Amino acid sequence: MSVLPQMTLESLVVDLSHDPFNPELNFQVAQAYDKEKQTASAVSFYLRTAEYGKDSHPSLVYVSLLKLAKCFEEQNDRLHTVSNCILQAVSYLPYRPEAYFWMARFHERQQNWQECYTWARMGGNQAINTPLPDDVDYHGTYCLMFERAVSAWWIGRKDESVSTFQRLLEMDIAPEYRQAVEDNLARII
Amino acid sequence: MNLVQKAVGQGGKLAPLAIPKTFGGMNPSVFIDPDGDILVNVRVVNYILYHSENEQRFPSRWGPLAYLHPEKDQRLVTENYVVRLNSNLEITDCAKVEMLELHQPIWEFVGLEDARLVYWDDYYLIGVRRDTTNNGVGRMEKSKVSIDKDTWTIKEISRERIEVPSQSYCEKNWMPIVDKPFHFVKWHSPIEVMKAEGTMAQQVALKQGIQPEKDQRGGSQLIRWGSVYIAITHEVDLFKNYLQQKDGIYRHRLCVYDDDLNLVGISPESFSFLDGRIEFCVGAAEYEGDLLVSFGFQDNAAFVLRVPRSIVEDMIAEAL
Repeated sequence: MSVLPQMTLESLVVDLSHDPFNPELNFQVAQAYDKEKQTASAVSFYLRTAEYGKDSHPSLVYVSLLKLAKCFEEQNDRLHTVSNCILQAVSYLPYRPEAYFWMARFHERQQNWQECYTWARMGGNQAINTPLPDDVDYHGTYCLMFERAVSAWWIGRKDESVSTFQRLLEMDIAPEYRQAVEDNLARII
Repeated sequence: MNLVQKAVGQGGKLAPLAIPKTFGGMNPSVFIDPDGDILVNVRVVNYILYHSENEQRFPSRWGPLAYLHPEKDQRLVTENYVVRLNSNLEITDCAKVEMLELHQPIWEFVGLEDARLVYWDDYYLIGVRRDTTNNGVGRMEKSKVSIDKDTWTIKEISRERIEVPSQSYCEKNWMPIVDKPFHFVKWHSPIEVMKAEGTMAQQVALKQGIQPEKDQRGGSQLIRWGSVYIAITHEVDLFKNYLQQKDGIYRHRLCVYDDDLNLVGISPESFSFLDGRIEFCVGAAEYEGDLLVSFGFQDNAAFVLRVPRSIVEDMIAEAL
């Protein structure tokens, strides 16, 4: 049978036992569980990262709140908790764009088009883009533009949708986004 | 200093138990069977304990301490997995316990919860079940299980629900006495020993002994340790924040009992395993002279800790 890499996790938790309220160590343990899809276990340690790092490790806390949302999303049928975690990230560092993107994407997946559009527009106004300590699926402003373009079509703003998609094609964007833009344009033009 | 730090610092070992293809395990119960195998029953649930500690800056929508079940399924469902560990405390075998389908659950807490593993005339998983009435009455249940070590399949083969002589709503966390078949320590203030060979439990002893400062609740199995019995128990501080939202802190102590099950010693200071506010120990076993204890962290993660004998002896001396 496959055995999970307990040794790595073990050494991380042992390190944590020496400094149990250290946000960075809690985050590392959370990441290790997350990597193995043990998302319930990861939740506990991401949450500890947030609670014990709120005054000292803002970037780590911000990422932890988004990772919490992702853990709950992967467990299915926990929409209120997913959105609550993202909202906490928005309110914790309101001048960063990533959590706005997550909120827009959350509503896109629920087909709440006006909410998706609104969050995408609000996120576009956030200016702080300093690197975060882990990947949160946000590659730049074009991610918010994509959410805006998708949702605009559904709320009666076809011209805005088309023009935003066309602008996206002129930008340096990830291949999966380029493919999605092309597919959307093919459908709506 | 937490017990993990102390134990590992003096030659012990910590083993996280991650059950593949689940979101995580909790409240594991370790046991050394007659073949000398290290077995652990790990509880796997469909809910997540959301517990915001410290200043509770990031609570859930339902408060700082909430059981987050699927939003369209209010049940809190438990399944059990039995794993075998090698001497390095790594999982070598893992399987879900196939339970008999004896009834349709009619309460939101579904399944055998916090089951302790023992071997008396056969293997038993002994925990609380609350899904047989429509108001959640809890009774300890003994599930006899067969373990096929060649194919590593674990099946429940019979089940007995333990009724009690007096009226009560929920019986749980009885601590099986490993070398006294069908005997349990039910309470610690005073010690109440129950025997449940069939479906009706009888009180066989009530011991005044020493009175713990705080009510001690089960807990691991009671295991023989030299001339005494020992077990790990827990105590709870329940409180509410200014919004009247519930919260709690669990801490543990080592209890020492004589041959007649009088409580003769208890840790003067409560301890934690990893300094989490909610931790729960439901297993203990002697292994190669050391003590294995198994505990859940925040109801979301499971660990086995090997505690060197010298530390256990020190803890017993402090307790006496």
